[in-house]
Amino acid sequence: MNPKNNIIVGIIIALLFVTSYNIGANPIEFVKGLPNLAIVAEEMTQVEPKLFGTAFLSMFETIQMAFIGTIVGVAISLPLSMFAARNLNSKYVYAPVRAILAAIRTFPSILWAILFVIMVGLGPFAGVLAIIMYTIGFVAKLQYEVIETIDSDPMDAVSSIGVSKWQLIRYVVLPESAPHLLSQMLYMFDYNVRQTSILGLVGAGGIGFYIINYIKFFEYGKAAVFMLVVLVTVLIIDWASVKIRDKYIIKSQHGMKISVK
Amino acid sequence: MELLQMTRPSSFSLISTKKIIQMNNVYTSYDSKNYALKGISISIDRGTNYAIVGQSGSGKSTLLKLMNGMMIPSKGTIKIDYQTPNMKNKQFKLMMHKIGYIPQSLGLIKNITVLENILIGALPRLGKIQSLLKMFPEEEVIEAKKILKQVGLEGKENRKAYMLSGGEKRRVAIARAFMQKPTILLADEIVSELDHITAREIMALIASAQKTMNLTAIMVHHDIQLALEYANRVAVIKDGEKILEIGVEGDKIVDFQTGNLTTEEIMEMYSNESKK
Ligand SMILES: Nc1ncnc2c1ncn2[C@@H]1O[C@H](COP(=O)(O)OP(=O)(O)OP(=O)(O)O)[C@@H](O)[C@H]1O
Ligand SMILES: [Mg+2]
Repeated sequence: MNPKNNIIVGIIIALLFVTSYNIGANPIEFVKGLPNLAIVAEEMTQVEPKLFGTAFLSMFETIQMAFIGTIVGVAISLPLSMFAARNLNSKYVYAPVRAILAAIRTFPSILWAILFVIMVGLGPFAGVLAIIMYTIGFVAKLQYEVIETIDSDPMDAVSSIGVSKWQLIRYVVLPESAPHLLSQMLYMFDYNVRQTSILGLVGAGGIGFYIINYIKFFEYGKAAVFMLVVLVTVLIIDWASVKIRDKYIIKSQHGMKISVK
Repeated sequence: MELLQMTRPSSFSLISTKKIIQMNNVYTSYDSKNYALKGISISIDRGTNYAIVGQSGSGKSTLLKLMNGMMIPSKGTIKIDYQTPNMKNKQFKLMMHKIGYIPQSLGLIKNITVLENILIGALPRLGKIQSLLKMFPEEEVIEAKKILKQVGLEGKENRKAYMLSGGEKRRVAIARAFMQKPTILLADEIVSELDHITAREIMALIASAQKTMNLTAIMVHHDIQLALEYANRVAVIKDGEKILEIGVEGDKIVDFQTGNLTTEEIMEMYSNESKK
């Protein structure tokens, strides 16, 4: 380590203390609080098996919400990303589109959910709309970044034939970015399942509604059932996306089979 | 000396309609500091095979990019069939449909099949809806399969492009260019990395296409021997300048640039240059 790095590390540590003081983060409180956690953990072991049915049903609702949100969100973000890519458009096109996307991203999904609950009322539909907005903001950004890093050689080779911009998009941009798009869809679905689980907090449907309510009334055993179901579902989705990625994404990029232990 | 006079193209045959490409004192640069090409003048007859050789970084690829409007000269003029190559020139944009360009890196689309890569050459002939839905007319698909066979890729049409060998990839790029029904083929070092036999197979393929399609081929090569074997003329580029323009006539190498050098002098000059 050179002296310059030492100074930087020193500054970061100093900042850590200052900011912790400012927000009132206190390790002693944390240690004192540990017994409380033990109580919750103990109560959580008193699971109520009766509730598993309800839990699975509400999880199923959550997955459906995430599914619709992901698919519709990606479908909308795809054309948007084409307009936001700097290598396909003039400044007058991409700059405003990027500004809109940035604005969409400034709201976390829970704020979108509140907005849509006001608009369309309580229930899963508001949640789906929130997921769609969130997905658009992120996938469009990830996707235009992918488009901008597409190898310029096929782009040049095909545009030198004198094809139209739409043909260029259809025959070069889409196939060259498709593996990334699939990967982003999987990632987004995974992420959306997790975040749909908390949209119930504001009454926008999904399994989070139950978790929040049981926790509010200190019924940790009941909440645990629902949390367990979320955990298992997320693990399954994780496992499935690894399988799908191996089959369609990794192989298509390197032309080889990668076996996962 | 007499023989050289005889073998050079006679001045009577220099009717301008024969010339498909004319570059006059062309300069171009990537940045404002240095010129990548300096004072290049080239004139290419329709139907000929024109080769460009030179060391790495001498400006060969840049020269090709000028011929299809990917780059614009900062000085001098270029005419391709009387049109100035420039993406903004509507007339030239139509001509681009018939200029096959194979970049040094080939520019294939990895994730689509061989046949789809080849069909890209037919895109200018497709309507909006057809191209959006990838609906290629029957006759285009038949044509693509014919070319596929011609370049020796039969049975590989459904392979993804990334699953091909280097030589096969070059054949796909050639087939894509042929699919354009080109009048001009610009090929950047497509045989340089291939073995002796495959390189000659591919050169023979282009030579036969030149006969049947009356194609003008401008090809960048690494190997001057191979260039002299197949090209009517070979331009030698050094540091952005054309230092030699030569060709084989009978058993002699002829100097077309100044008309003064003998075979021996040319060979000496070339070997001196490549030693530097
Ligand atoms: N995109 C670029 N930006 C800036 N400079 C470039 C670019 N492409 C080429 N050059 C420069 O222009 C000069 C000519 O390059 P060019 O690619 O035409 O050489 P070349 O003769 O094709 O070389 P090679 O045999 O290695 O392909 C070189 O000095 C190179 O560094
Ligand atoms: Mg080059």
